[in-house]
Amino acid sequence: MLAPLLERFRQRDRLALARLLSLVARGEQTEEILAGLPTTAKPARVVSITGPGGVGKSSLTGKLIAEIRRHHLSVAVLACDPQSPLSGGALLGDRFRMPAHPDDDGVFIRSLAAAGGQGALAAHLPALLQLVESFGFEVILLETVGAGQGDTAVRALVDVVVLLLQPETGDELQWEKAGLLEVADVIALHKADLPGIDRAEAQVLAALGLSAGPTPPVLRVSSRTGQGIADLWQAIRALPLRRGLRRDADELFRLTREWLAVRFAAVRATPPCTALLDRWRTGQVRTEAAVRELLRLLSDSPLDHD
Amino acid sequence: MSNAPLRVVLAKVGLDGHDRGIKVVARALRDAGFHVIYAGLWQTPEAVVRAVADEDADWLGISLLSGAHMTLMPRLLQLLREAGLSHVGVLVGGIIPEDDVPKLLELGVAKVFGPGTPLDDIVAFLQQAPRDRHASTAS
Ligand SMILES: Nc1nc2c(ncn2[C@@H]2O[C@H](COP(=O)(O)OP(=O)(O)O)[C@@H](O)[C@H]2O)c(=O)[nH]1
Ligand SMILES: [Mg+2]
Repeated sequence: MLAPLLERFRQRDRLALARLLSLVARGEQTEEILAGLPTTAKPARVVSITGPGGVGKSSLTGKLIAEIRRHHLSVAVLACDPQSPLSGGALLGDRFRMPAHPDDDGVFIRSLAAAGGQGALAAHLPALLQLVESFGFEVILLETVGAGQGDTAVRALVDVVVLLLQPETGDELQWEKAGLLEVADVIALHKADLPGIDRAEAQVLAALGLSAGPTPPVLRVSSRTGQGIADLWQAIRALPLRRGLRRDADELFRLTREWLAVRFAAVRATPPCTALLDRWRTGQVRTEAAVRELLRLLSDSPLDHD
Repeated sequence: MSNAPLRVVLAKVGLDGHDRGIKVVARALRDAGFHVIYAGLWQTPEAVVRAVADEDADWLGISLLSGAHMTLMPRLLQLLREAGLSHVGVLVGGIIPEDDVPKLLELGVAKVFGPGTPLDDIVAFLQQAPRDRHASTAS
């Protein structure tokens, strides 16, 4: 009985969105649900807020909600927490740190813990994001605990990864060992109101200096004082929508491959091509030159396919 | 339909400050396999209803110590109905005078747990409650 629920979703009924998220998070009827979603007119900006537990992801997400609303953009939050592997239960305390006006329909906050733990949740994330995007939210904030290398899976699903780090007291370079820096598009040095912030910044910049390639912007941010929140949102906004870029490139490569296959089939039986093959077989033309000649024939041939 | 974990929103309305009791309940429910969404202290009824809606909760547990239950609970239950959330079961925990308990049940509260209720009793109540509360809004 999915049809009425999907119809309500298309009428922008929040309860329908909430219920469909539950189904998809449990892996129930995902295919049917996705098939019934309206296509999104405008892609959302999907931002992952990641970092170790306690670094302040939920607090910062709460601040970003207010900043994003100030820019009149609608925003949905998916706050993902690990669930207890023993009981299957979960204590989801993130929304507690995200004050929102209950009558503001431009904000949607949902806590998630998938049966089967973080891995299973990651498996359901593409569909969960699609649901929220299809509902029409312009920004999607995804709070996940950053656990190192494994996060590249999440990175592929979002446009921008914001990595949170904080002044540490214990083993300072945990995040470096975990390979956390590599996934970041923006690094927020969070809890910048705390005394160790200078040292933390120096360490991060030093670590980034060692890595090849472009380095992400590093910003000092404090959810407690509000320092750097507006700048952080500007930095997030300034980045390209990676999902869109990737989708376009994949599409272009796919079309090119198809185009090549069609042309190849059309050209190989033509007289210029058979003549070329004969000259190559008998050694009159060298292989490299023959390849060039063939490419020229491919690009010259009329394409009656389009 | 499924034996997926039930989702329980826990919140504290009213102005009294401490959240120890609700956190103890939250942990007990988690350990019993529930997905517990802790919505926080000092919540307005409107904010609680929004949390219940967006979280697709099966149950709502309200903690009250302030004595305002006979104004807050009718309002909350009314808002839940208006939001299309009548299928959500409502529990009340806190110091509720004996005489008011039947009144709350009359209003639609599923159960009132007084202070010192053993955690096992709360867990057992939720576990034995019928699971098909969703019948009105979903599959
Ligand atoms: N000093 C300071 N503490 C913060 C800041 N933001 C959050 N916290 C504290 O850090 C702790 C963890 O915050 P939380 O948002 O739950 O972190 P999460 O586990 O990463 O989601 C809480 O005790 C917050 O009060 C900040 O900007 N400065
Ligand atoms: Mg959090």
